[in-house]
Amino acid sequence: MYKKALFFLSVCFLSAQLQAQTRRIDTVAVAILDRMTAVIGDLGSCSFTVKSNYDVSSKELGLIKHSDEEQVYLHGPNKLLLKSDGDRGSRDFYFDGKKLSYYSLDKNQYGQIDAGMSLMEMIDTVNKLYGIEFPAADFLYPTFVDDVLAESKELVYLGLTKVDGKECYHIAGKGADKTFQFWISDDAFSLPLKMVIVYTGREMNPQYEALLTDWQVNPNLPDAIFGFTAPHKAKKVRLVPLSHKK
Amino acid sequence: MQTALKYRSLLSVFVLTLAVAGYPGEGMAQRFNHGGFSRPAPAAPARVAVPPMRQEARPAAPPARPEIRPDERPTERPTINGGGRNIGNHDFSRPVDVHQTVNVHETVNVRDHVNVYHTGGYRGIHPYYYHPYRPYYWGPHWHPLGFFLTALATDAIFFSFNSQRYYYDDGVYYQPANGGYSVVPAPVGALVAALPPGYETTMVGNDTYYYFGGAFYVYTGQGYQVVVAPAGAVITQLPVGAVEQQINGDTLLVYNNTYYLPISQDGQDAYEVVNP
Repeated sequence: MYKKALFFLSVCFLSAQLQAQTRRIDTVAVAILDRMTAVIGDLGSCSFTVKSNYDVSSKELGLIKHSDEEQVYLHGPNKLLLKSDGDRGSRDFYFDGKKLSYYSLDKNQYGQIDAGMSLMEMIDTVNKLYGIEFPAADFLYPTFVDDVLAESKELVYLGLTKVDGKECYHIAGKGADKTFQFWISDDAFSLPLKMVIVYTGREMNPQYEALLTDWQVNPNLPDAIFGFTAPHKAKKVRLVPLSHKK
Repeated sequence: MQTALKYRSLLSVFVLTLAVAGYPGEGMAQRFNHGGFSRPAPAAPARVAVPPMRQEARPAAPPARPEIRPDERPTERPTINGGGRNIGNHDFSRPVDVHQTVNVHETVNVRDHVNVYHTGGYRGIHPYYYHPYRPYYWGPHWHPLGFFLTALATDAIFFSFNSQRYYYDDGVYYQPANGGYSVVPAPVGALVAALPPGYETTMVGNDTYYYFGGAFYVYTGQGYQVVVAPAGAVITQLPVGAVEQQINGDTLLVYNNTYYLPISQDGQDAYEVVNP
């Protein structure tokens, strides 16, 4: 009896080990994401619209769906304008290479952070220090593919499908605490058109979905749009780092 | 009065904390654990210097705008993120960054490929570009499948694989048949010491494949091993014997049970291995 139990445990252990040691990485999926990252990495400027839906968990009602729409304008190496409108209110972010300015249109108040750094350093730093997230910023990271691979137990190219009438590559992946899908346009620019994340590690498995539309490649964006001038009677407040929040 | 001011100041901080903390929603918009920027950025790739502008053909710059001198223009156009890194050069053996036990000796299967779409799902990463099929011959020593020889060259190499007898000569595989030798498909798994001149190399992800006479190989250190045609591989020639087949309105080539999508790469006619 003891030997049988030991054998059974050994089989379970070996089976679990085999399962844990298998990764499936589809090189076609990697090649598509590589191309997208290479194109984005070569852009001097761009603009796009992000329509996002995301779940907020409620103990009483379960998952509540929210949505935002953001217009994003980027100019290398250190300029950003983000205009957001949706369930979280109307707010703008301006980054002129020296300061990140946050302005709430609803409250007519603004805050500023000194950020004399590159665009991606600002996005990364502000995200880590202040918890501010920029929509679809994942796609902008130069290490995007490596970062996805580092979290992927599975990464597979599923085939061609359409998003918003445009033909695109459909890629799906699975990590330890999330599953994710990317839709990359099947055209010369290979730009991201859609992303879905399912947080399997969180209670009720909330989802984040972002649709990226109206891509403009290397538009001529005047510097003036990235500068922030506080509106009349706008109240200045201090942005609080995450470490100061309870 | 001072107390009131302090209270108002604290209230302002509190209000903005609430406003920013939730943006845009429970930490969902920036999802992956990016390495950040602690790693030094790689040196910018060398680029061909921009040739001087055709100054002689241009009217002289107005004196009021001398600051736009060509020699002061930046030679590198700034990009939004400094350029993608490790493109096509990923470390597939990098341990998965997850909170679970993962053995660093894990098996990474980089060739599995699935297709969930039945319409157009066979298509590869290159767009379909039809060009007429022209059978290719790899020189006078190369023979197509089914070709019959009464005798082999004296330097043909005999080997036994999966209980079958084979002869290998200049990239062609033969089996004894009807008192002679008939050309057969390269047996998957067989290992040969060398490939004849004229082979192609093709990259699929990080893997280098070698292609000759309709067969794909990987280099193992001991020699070249025959493998199944990898999806995504791009080759420029197909041997005689390929058959055109209509799939979803496109004309694909089928050779030795492998489907090839006609494409154009760098202005050249080529084929990409696809899974129908």
